[in-house]
Amino acid sequence: MARSAGWGVANQQIDEANVLTSTRILTRRRLGPNAAAHASAPPRRRRRTRGFVQVASAVAQERLRVSVFGHAYLGVGAVVICLLFYLAIAAQITQSSYDISRLQQKQSQLLAEQDQLRYQEVTLHAPAQVQQQAAQSGMQRVVPSSYVAGQEVAVDLGAPVGASPADSAPLWQRAVAAFFNAVAGTREVMAATRK
Amino acid sequence: MFVVAMVLAGMVWSRLMYWQVAEHGRLSLAAQQQFRDFEKLPAIRGAVFDRNLTQLVVNTTVYSAFVSPDQITQGRRDTVASALASVLGVDKGSVMTTLSSNVKFAYIARRFAKAKADQLRALKLPGVGLQEEMQRSYLPGAEAGTTLASDLLGFVNWNGDGQSGLEMKYQKLLAGTPGYISSYRDLANNEIVLGTHTNVNPVNGSDLVLTLDANIQFAAEQALAAGIKTDNAESGSVLIMDPSTGGIVAWADYPSYNANDFNHTDPALFKDNVVSYVYEPGSVMKVVTLSGAINAGVIAPDTVINDPGVLSVGGYRIYDWDRRNHGNVDYTYVLAHSLNVGAMKAMLAEGHDAFYKNLQAFGLTQPSGIDVAGETFVPLPSASQMGDSQYATTSFGQGIDVNMVQMLAAVNVVANGGKYAPPHVVDRVGTQINPLLLQPQRQVISPDTAAKMTAMMEQVVQNGSGSLARVPGFQKDQTGKTGSSQIPVNGQYTQDVWTSYVGFLPAQHPRFTMLVVVRKPHYPGSDRDWTLNDGYLTAAPIWKTIAQNIVVNWHITPDPS
Repeated sequence: MARSAGWGVANQQIDEANVLTSTRILTRRRLGPNAAAHASAPPRRRRRTRGFVQVASAVAQERLRVSVFGHAYLGVGAVVICLLFYLAIAAQITQSSYDISRLQQKQSQLLAEQDQLRYQEVTLHAPAQVQQQAAQSGMQRVVPSSYVAGQEVAVDLGAPVGASPADSAPLWQRAVAAFFNAVAGTREVMAATRK
Repeated sequence: MFVVAMVLAGMVWSRLMYWQVAEHGRLSLAAQQQFRDFEKLPAIRGAVFDRNLTQLVVNTTVYSAFVSPDQITQGRRDTVASALASVLGVDKGSVMTTLSSNVKFAYIARRFAKAKADQLRALKLPGVGLQEEMQRSYLPGAEAGTTLASDLLGFVNWNGDGQSGLEMKYQKLLAGTPGYISSYRDLANNEIVLGTHTNVNPVNGSDLVLTLDANIQFAAEQALAAGIKTDNAESGSVLIMDPSTGGIVAWADYPSYNANDFNHTDPALFKDNVVSYVYEPGSVMKVVTLSGAINAGVIAPDTVINDPGVLSVGGYRIYDWDRRNHGNVDYTYVLAHSLNVGAMKAMLAEGHDAFYKNLQAFGLTQPSGIDVAGETFVPLPSASQMGDSQYATTSFGQGIDVNMVQMLAAVNVVANGGKYAPPHVVDRVGTQINPLLLQPQRQVISPDTAAKMTAMMEQVVQNGSGSLARVPGFQKDQTGKTGSSQIPVNGQYTQDVWTSYVGFLPAQHPRFTMLVVVRKPHYPGSDRDWTLNDGYLTAAPIWKTIAQNIVVNWHITPDPS
C-alpha cells in the first residue's frame, strides 16, 4: 500500500500531464529497474477469507449451540432425506418405465388393429368383394354387343383458314371502337378484331 | 516343503491360466450371453400394388399363444386348459398334457387373429403368453378358397421367406434389413439404463408396383375357372400382356390355392403352370413359322401352295389335323385353317438354319427371363442335332417344349410391330422404374411382316378356327390363332391334348395380347369326336370372355374401319 502511495505521490510531483500516461507505459515502468526487485520478492501468501458456509455454520452453531449429538442427528437426517429423495426418484423412474411398457404394448395393439383395418379396407375394394356386393344389389355388367361407327366430321379441319369475313359494322362504330381500343388498350378486343 | 509349495502354486497358476487364457473366448461369450440383451427389430416387408395402385398384399399382425407350465400351479391347470380350449378351439386334453409336462415353454396355438388374442388377454391367465408375429395377407380370388393371383404372387412362410412367385423372386428387396437393439441386463433381467446401447434401425422393404391389373386378373380367374369346368379339363392358365411394354396384365391358373392358408394346401398346387410347366404349343407356333418365312421373303400371305393333306419328311408321313386334301391354298388359308403341311412347306422354303435362327429371334430357345421365380425351360437341341422330322414337327408346334411366357412373348412380336418386348411383372421397385423398360426393344421381324401376319391372324377369327373368340363389335378388328397338341407320355403321343388360343385386340392398335392354355380337356362328346377337345372349342371361348371384360374395363373401342 505504501508503495502504491509512493508511486502516487511521485506521479503527482512529476507532472500533471503524466496522469494521462497510457497503461502500456505504466507497464513498462513496472518492468523497469524497480520491477526486477518486485519480481524477485517472495510471493506473499494471500490472506484467506472465510467462506459463507463456514461463517453461516459458525453463526448457526453459535446461536443454536448444537451439541455433538445434534450434529449426528443432523447428519442422519440429511442422509434420510437423501434416501427418501432417491427412493422417490427411483419410484418415479419405475412408474415411468411401467407406463412406457404399457404404452408400448398399447401401441403394438393399435398397430395390429390398424393393420387389420387396412386389410379390411383393401378387401372391401377387392374385385371379388365388389362383385359380390354388386350381385347382392342386383347389378349386372352389360357387355356392349355392338359399336356405332363414328360419323365423319362436318367441318373440314384440314382446310386452309382463308381470309377473315368482312366487318359489317358501320364505319362510325368501327372508328369509335378503334378509338376506345387505342385508349383502353384491350388486347383481347384487338386480337379478336385481327382474327 | 518349498518344492511342495511350488508344485501347489504351479497347479493353481496352470489352472488359472487354463481358465483365463485357453477358455477366455468361450467364457467371455457365455458371459456376454448372460448379461447382453440382443433384441431384433424386424423390418416391415414391402407391400405389393397393381398398376392402379390397388394393394394386393397387406402385412397383418397375428398372434401365437404359448404356456410356461412351471408358472401354473397344479390347481389352476384345469381352469387354464378350459379357457385356452374355449377361446382358441384347441383340444383341452392335449393342453392338459402340455401343462402337466416338465417343459418350460410350449406353443398352444399359432397365428390366430387379433380378436382371439384380445379375448385371451382379457382372461389374464397365469403362465400364458402371447407372441406377435407378422403375416402376409392376400386378397380373395375369384374362386372360393383361393386368393387373387396366388400363383404369381407366391406366399411367405412363417420365417418371413418368400416361397414362390414374386415373393420369392424379390425376397431381398421386399424383406428389407432387420435392425437390432443391443444393451446390457442385470441378474434380474432388468435393462441397465446407463450401460452401452447399440441401436441399429431396420431398413424396411421396398414396395413393388406391378404391371398387373387386379380387375382383369379377377376376370381372368373367373372366366378360366368357368371354362375349365365346362371343358372338364385337368387345369388351365391365362396370361395377358401389354403388347408395347411386355408388362403382364393378368396371370391366372386353375386350380389355384389360398395363399393365406398355405400350410394347409396341397404342395402340388404351388406349382405355377404359367412359368413352371412346359408344353408343346401346337399350331400357335405357325404364327412364328410363317412370320419368319414371310420376313425372309420366301413366302407371302397370298403365296399359293398345294396341300394334299400329308407330307413325308425324314421318313415320316405327317398329316394335317383333318387328313384332308386341301388342294391349292394360299398361306392366309393355311393359317386360318391351321394346316400342318403348309407350315412345314414354309419352314422348308426358309431352310433349317434360317428357321432355327427364327426360333432364337422369337425367344423360344432360351428362358424368357421373366422376373418370377421358378421358370422352367427345356432347351432345344442345337441346329445340327435336330433331325428333319423334328424341324418339320417344330414348324407346327410339336416336338418343341415352351412355357407360356415364352410363347406369348413370341406371338406378341407380331402385335408389337415386329419388336420383342421383354416380359416382366414388376413395373417399379419403390420409386425406381424397372430398367427393362428403359432398354430399346429388339426388332425380330420387320413392321411390314408384322402387319402382314396381323392381317392373316385377323382372317383366323373371321374365316377360320378362331370364330368362337369373336368379341362383339371387334369381329373385324381382332386377331387369333388356335393350337392343339397331343401330350406325349414315355415318348408316345396320347389322346390327351394341350389346347390353346392366342390373340390380340384391336388388331391395328393392340391393347393386349392374351394366351389361354387348357390342359387335358374332355369336352362333352369328345369321347366320340376327339376334335371337340380342340383349342377353338375349349380355349377360344375363355379368351373371348376375358377379352370382353378387358374391353369394358379399359373402354377399348374398335379401330375405325
